[in-house]
Formats: sequence, structure tokens, C-alpha cells
Amino acid sequence: MAELEESPASAPARPMSGSRLRVATLPLVARIPPRVRSRLAVGLLALAALLFPLLHANDADIDSAANALAFAALALGLNIVVGFAGLLDLGYAAFFAIGAYAYGAAASFQLQPEWSSFWEPFHWLDLVARLPGPAGGDVVHFQVSFWLMLPISAALAALFGVLFGAPTLRLKGDYLAIVTLGFGEIVPIVARNMPAVTNGAMGLNGVAAPQLFGYSFGISATPYYYVGVGLVALLIVTSLRLKESRIGRAWMAIREDEIAAAAMGVNRVRYKLLAFAIGAAFAGATGTFYVAKLQTATPEMFMFPVSVMVLVMIVFGGIGSVWGVVVGALLLQMLQSWFLEDLSQWLHGLGRLIDVAWLRHVELASSIELIFGVILVVMMLYRRQGLIPATRPMPALSLDQQAAQIQRGGFATLPVISPQPSPETGSLLAISGLTVSFGGLVALREVGLVVPRHGVVAVIGPNGSGKSTLFNAVTGLVTPDRGSVVMAGREIVGLPPHRVLECGIARTFQNLRLFPNLTVLENVMIGMHARLASGAAGALLRLPRTRREEEEARERALAILALFGNRLVPRAEHLASSLSYANRRRTEIARALASNPTLLLLDEPTAGMNPAETLELAEQIKSLNNSGLTIVLIEHKLDVVVSLADQVVVLDHGEKIAEGRPETVRNDEEVIRAYLGRSAAFA
Amino acid sequence: MTETGVLLQQVVNGLSLGAMYALLAIGFTLVYGILELINFAHFNVFMVASFIGMWALQLLGISGQSRVLTGLALAGSLGFAFVVTMAAAGVIGVVIERVSLRPLRGVGGTAGMITTIGVSYILFNVILLTVGAGSENYPNPLPVHRWQLGQVVVELKEVLIWAVSLILMAGLHIFVSRTRLGKAMRATAQDAEAARMMGVDVDRVVVTAFFLGSALAGAAALIFGLYYNYTSFIIGYTAGLRALTAAVLGGIGSIPGAMVGGLLIGLIETLGGQLIAVRWTDVIIFSILVLVLVFVPAGLFGRAAPTKS
Repeated sequence: MAELEESPASAPARPMSGSRLRVATLPLVARIPPRVRSRLAVGLLALAALLFPLLHANDADIDSAANALAFAALALGLNIVVGFAGLLDLGYAAFFAIGAYAYGAAASFQLQPEWSSFWEPFHWLDLVARLPGPAGGDVVHFQVSFWLMLPISAALAALFGVLFGAPTLRLKGDYLAIVTLGFGEIVPIVARNMPAVTNGAMGLNGVAAPQLFGYSFGISATPYYYVGVGLVALLIVTSLRLKESRIGRAWMAIREDEIAAAAMGVNRVRYKLLAFAIGAAFAGATGTFYVAKLQTATPEMFMFPVSVMVLVMIVFGGIGSVWGVVVGALLLQMLQSWFLEDLSQWLHGLGRLIDVAWLRHVELASSIELIFGVILVVMMLYRRQGLIPATRPMPALSLDQQAAQIQRGGFATLPVISPQPSPETGSLLAISGLTVSFGGLVALREVGLVVPRHGVVAVIGPNGSGKSTLFNAVTGLVTPDRGSVVMAGREIVGLPPHRVLECGIARTFQNLRLFPNLTVLENVMIGMHARLASGAAGALLRLPRTRREEEEARERALAILALFGNRLVPRAEHLASSLSYANRRRTEIARALASNPTLLLLDEPTAGMNPAETLELAEQIKSLNNSGLTIVLIEHKLDVVVSLADQVVVLDHGEKIAEGRPETVRNDEEVIRAYLGRSAAFA
Repeated sequence: MTETGVLLQQVVNGLSLGAMYALLAIGFTLVYGILELINFAHFNVFMVASFIGMWALQLLGISGQSRVLTGLALAGSLGFAFVVTMAAAGVIGVVIERVSLRPLRGVGGTAGMITTIGVSYILFNVILLTVGAGSENYPNPLPVHRWQLGQVVVELKEVLIWAVSLILMAGLHIFVSRTRLGKAMRATAQDAEAARMMGVDVDRVVVTAFFLGSALAGAAALIFGLYYNYTSFIIGYTAGLRALTAAVLGGIGSIPGAMVGGLLIGLIETLGGQLIAVRWTDVIIFSILVLVLVFVPAGLFGRAAPTKS
């Protein structure tokens, strides 16, 4: 966030003497701007990767490196599913298997159907060859090019990802883990039990090596190494671009809080499927690469331990961190193929020296799985963010930045909200006969409510009276038993939450549902999800349109944060979990405003705020209303209600017991009884 | 043997396997009911316990199937083996909870499950690296008695399996429904926060769940050894996955569900193997797992749908 650091809001805060001291003492590297520094690092890394086989011409080591690259590619794919979208997939190797067998079947002597004219066009395209068969007649020999099979395998695996994912993605995370474990078991068993296609447990033989410009890769490791480098580079770029896009934000929103993500306009099923499909596609392409390199494939190569190994790699490197998982995969592969071997040799030497029998024979390589188990447990207990965390810690704010000024008189500038003030009058939201029950408990009974356009309606009532359930029913988080909710002339009962948001209804939550491990800015940008249009292609290719949209979204998000003076702006790059309670409430309101709503549902917006902050926020809500937003708020502080609301609705035990102007309702006997008890009403 | 005879015989076999899966499934269900955590370490607690049972029997001088005991000697040695195995397995479960899971209490997401996978791997490899990859001949002092009942043959070891399973499940039922700690367990399973506020020591409940679940896995492990006459470092994975399927089928979190689910999986395994083919048994069982989760995620006896977040 270079732009932000130079913005006037945060610049004067930097303690001058401290920074001067730092510049003088730190080495030259620190003086290079961070962006240039990271580009330099990536450039050097790429150069090292390209030069490795030239500098270290040991075929066995290059071969190990190529294998390590295949696992880095798998780790990148699993990272999309587990790290970005937060879906624990324990059967990831199944997609690896699908990609491997796809190429295995399309480029080996395993399948040899009889020749018929059907195959002519494929022959003409050079996808198959006509060979004399053992039984006299000619047979078909599949010889599809490796380069063609890479995208085909990716697409095939993605298709299976969608097939496996579609019925299971509405399940809770841990159930999804079991289902994926089940699929992960089924695929290799099917492979073993279908020898016609896979040659069963014996494994495919004679898978063709890739060819480039007529030159076959054969068994030399170097060309595979370069294909691996290219594959990993491609997947790194894909991961980074997706992560920084609208899609990546939607995934991380689902990971952090599925309900809040849906309420902010994210179509959960669609984005989970997308994560599954893209993760599977990575594995499919990698499977083709791996089987082309080994020129064989057996079911054992794709069993549960492989899925766990890839999981260990991403846990070790840093769940959700693109560079982290690559480093994790490479380090663990190096550990396995070089370091443990060397250490064993060294121990054997030591054993001979001091004459200890078991030291002479110890084989550390066989304890790799034990090491994996220890890594999983130790990382989870002591360093859940992994070696290279996905989020960097932000420096603490200066005193200047922390000292917030109370702003009076509502928001000074509201052009960023632009709620299209509509000339129409009448009702914006009309609720009638709304009944919600949970088992035997009726949370709402036949509640009706009309919210006039540009009005402010307050919903009050004792705890447990059904206020939040009313919001949940309107926003699609709970399905009412009966009743209708009409928003701007359109029935919205039965719509999923993300569609409700698209109708112009945004909400905040009483118990705060921010995305805790995302920055304040990202939280607000997720609020814009439904108003942005970029898809995967735009994000991957960084189309000008997408870049413009992202830039505008970021600027608008910052402008919305700026509504709250210097309370949120200096913290824009901080994690939402680091915010104070009041600032979390403000961030939730900012996130809701980012969706450009016409109707704002605020669930106890001033809860936990002190009187000065409450007054400040009440005036800000008033100015939102003045700029054209229609507001429904749940509130316990009656002075806030009286100062804001045109109309008050009182709920008690799920029923509407009173409705009217704030001052009338305030004196209503039944309301007093509901709040204060019977004796108070008759005192 | 006639075809119905074969099928009936497979039903008898299935009931024996099913009793073992049921005992193992209860461990998944107890922990899930309280922590909403799928405890993958349970797989290999079972495996380690089968070795403990083997060593306990060997300690009594029993090795292989050559030394047959009867009467009090038989009852005493088996009783000793069951008590030692169950206690040791229970302690392993408690240690796992205390060391690797309690620090993660309150950390949401996938951290707990990933940790149990790690623990499972550690147990698996500790046995693999110390005992070795071969399969061990299991000591079994049971005399071979067979009874011909109509078309089926029932063996003494099967009767023993049924009896032990019934006693343990009845004991668990009484514990959960009658004792104070059992009541605390049920309360915590319904709402941990409310139970804590009402003075329930939730940590103690969690430890109890791990102890009981692992102890039952210990009983299942000894049963496995006595039934198949072998054990090996790999037995945890297959048996564990089947028991997990049983717990899901019965409705994870429900103790009666785990019992019924276990029996059903045992029957599906033997009858499916008979009617279709043994090599497809795993595919059938995992397909059931997937289908149940997709279409009836609450299982046969589950109270709440697991779609909530």
C-alpha cells in the first residue's frame, strides 16, 4: 500500500528521528523501495531456477528437483482450496490421479481399440496412429501430444472437481473433509479395479515422453525440470493474480465467515465450486506432467499419504501464502531426497566411529512420515501461519494516528455513497405475516412492517424478542415458514442471501461478523463484491478493464473508510481482528455501505460505544438517511431511537406489540410492561 | 452350503465386525458431539491399542494360537488383557487431548482436524519404525468351539465379541444417562457455553470423552486381534475409516447411532463382499459415506443437520 503511506493522513505520524536513524543504520537493501525489492527477489529466484541444471549438472539431483516442482504445483493447487477458500480437502490426490491417468491413457499402449473409420479424423489430426494389431486386424494407438493433454487434463480434473464438489459443498467444513477423504479413497481403488484402462496395480507401462519440435524428452531429467519450472511459475502467477482479485477476496471471505460472505453478496456455492475446480485443475495438469516424467502410473502413487504430504507442505509453508507453500513443498522434498540421506550417511559414519550398531544402520529417510506428523502438530500448536505467513504484521500506529477526533454533525462528505435518491415515495420494504419458527419455538409470529422510502424505522424490544431473527429472515439467512417480504415491489422471500444483497439490502450484525484475518480495506472491498463484475479471465489476464475496476474499487473503499475521519483510514491495512470494538462496528457499516445499498439494516450499531461515540454515530446514521438511504435499525438505546427514528416497531416474544411515533410508543403501557415488567406498568 | 446359508453365515460374520466398528465409532461420535472435531488420531489409537493388547497377552505367556486356556484362566487372562488395553488406550487418548488439542480450543477452522491427522501419522510411524512393517501373529488363548445353528456356524470368539460389546455399550449407556458426569457430557454436547455457565467443568468432560472413546477403541482393537489373529501397523486406517463411516451413517454425535451404524457397516462389508466382490467393498462403503453426507447429513439418529456454520 504505497499510496496509503504517502497520504497526508498517515505521513506526519511517522516519528522523524526514528526513521532517520533507521535509514542510517540499515543496510543498503532496506533503502530499496519494497516493490522494487520484491521484484528483484522474484527475478533472482527465477534466474536461479533457470540456471540450476547448468550449474549443477547431476542428473539425479535435477530429477529430484523436477519431482519437487511437481509437488510445489500440487501444493499451489491445494492452497487455493484449503488456504484461500478454507475447504479442507483430504482427497486432493484423486485429482492428481485423474490428470495422470488421462495422459496415461491418451499416450500409451494400454488402450488399443480396433481400428474403424470412426478414428480417421483423429488419425488425420495425428492424435492416434494405426498399428497392426496382434490378432491380425489393425488397432488404434493413442498418441495425443503432452502439450495438448496438459490443458485437457486440467479441464477434466476441474470437471471432476465440480462433480465431487457440487453435492457436498453445502456441508460444514469437517464433513466436507470426510467426503473428500472418501473420494480420495474411491479414485485409486477404481483405478486398481479397472485394469482395462489403468493396467490395475501393475501400473501403466510405456507412457510416451513429451516431444518438443520433434525432439523427445526421453529419460533425461533436464527438460522435465524446465517444464516443471514453467508449470510452477504459471501456477504461482495464477494464484497471486486470483488472490488479489475479486474472486480471491470472495474465497477468503467464505473462509473467514461464510454467513457474512453470503450477506455481503458472495454466492457461496459458486465460489466454493470455483475453488474446487481450479484446485483440481492444477492437480490435473500436474498429474499429466508427473506421469509423463515417470512414464508409468500405479494406483499407489495417488493414495491418502500423497494427499497428506501435500497438506503438510502447505501447513509448513503457510496456509494461504503462495510463496510459502512453494517454499514448503521444495523444502520438504529437499529434506526427503537430500538432507535425510546425507544425515543418515553422516550418522553411519558416526556409528562406525564410536561403534554403535544401530547408528550404522539408521535410515532417516524412512522416518519422513513421522517428521510429517510432527510438522503438522508443531505447526498447528506453535506457528499456525507457517514459515512465510500470508499476512505481514503491520507496524503499530503512532499516538497521533491513535488519537481520534470526535466528529460532530454527521458525515461531512457523502458523494461516495450515491444511493440514487429516487423521486418515488411510498414503501420501500413491506413485510407482512412473517412467521419464523425453530423447531417448536416461534421466533416471529405474523409480523408486519412497512418501511417508507427514505425513512428511518427502529425495531426495539427486549432481548430474545425476535429482532435479529427479523433481519435474518429479510436477508435470507433464515427461511420463514410463512409471510412475504417485498423489496421495491419485488418478493424476496426464498432468495439466497447474496441475491437479497443484490436487491439493495445491506446489513450489519449484532455480534459483529467481520472477516477477522483480512484487512479493513479488504473487508470493505468484499462489500463491493456484488457491484463489481470481473471474473476469473479478467483477473488472470489483468485486463485493462479489470485493473481499472480494481483501482476504482480501492479508491472508493478508501473514500468510504475516510467517512469515519481518521478512525479507520490509518488502519486500512490492519487486520480487522486487531480493531477496537467500536471500530469494528464502523468497519461493518463501511462494508455494508460499500455494497451501494438502498436499504441499510443496522443491528445494534452503537452497542459497546461510549456516549460520545454513540452520539457521533447517531449523527452519522442521520446523515446517511439525509443523503437518501432508507434505514431500519435495531437499537436498545432509547435516546438514539428517539433522535433518529420516524417510526418505532416494538417486538415482544416474536409478536409486534406496538408501532408508531417514538414518543407515542415510549408511553405505551404494553411496551413499558414488556421492557420493565408488570409492576412498572401499573405503578 | 446353500446360497441362503452362505448369506446367513455372512450376517453372523457381519455382526461380529459390526460390533467392533460400533465400539470404534463411539469414539468418533463422543468427541464430535462435544468438540465438533473429527478426531483422525482415533484411527491409530486403535492400531496402537491392538499392539498393547498383544503385549499384555504375551506378558501372560500366551503367544500365537497354540496355548489354549479354559475356565477361570481364560476369563482371567482375557479380562486382564481387556482392562490393560482399554486403560492404556484411554490414557493415550487423554494425553493426545491434553498435549495437542487443548491448546487449540477456541481456534476455529481446520486447525484441530489437521492436528489430529498429524498425531495419527506420529502414532502410525512410531509403530512402523519400532515394531516394523510385518504383521504380527496375535496371541489368542480362546479354544475353538463351534456351534451349528441351522445353516450357520457360530464360533466361541464371536459369542465373546458380542458379549463384550454388549456389556461395554450397556455400561456406556448407563454412564451417560445415569451419572453426574454423564449428564454433564450430554449438556456440553448440546451447548458447551451454557454448560460452562451452569458450572460444568468442560475440560473434564472433554477428557472423559477422549478417555471413554479411546478405551472403547482399545476394546475394539483387542477384538480385532482375537478375531483376525493378526495385527499390523496398517490396520488403523481401513478399520478407522469404516468406523467413521458408521458414525456418520448413524448420525455423528449420536451414541445409539454409532452402535447401529457400526452393525450396518459390518453387514454391508460382509454381504457386499459376498454379493458383489470383495475388491469393491471399499468403494461401496465410501460411496455410502458420501451419499449419506450428501442426502441425509444428519444420519439415521442425528438431531441437527450439519450444514450450520
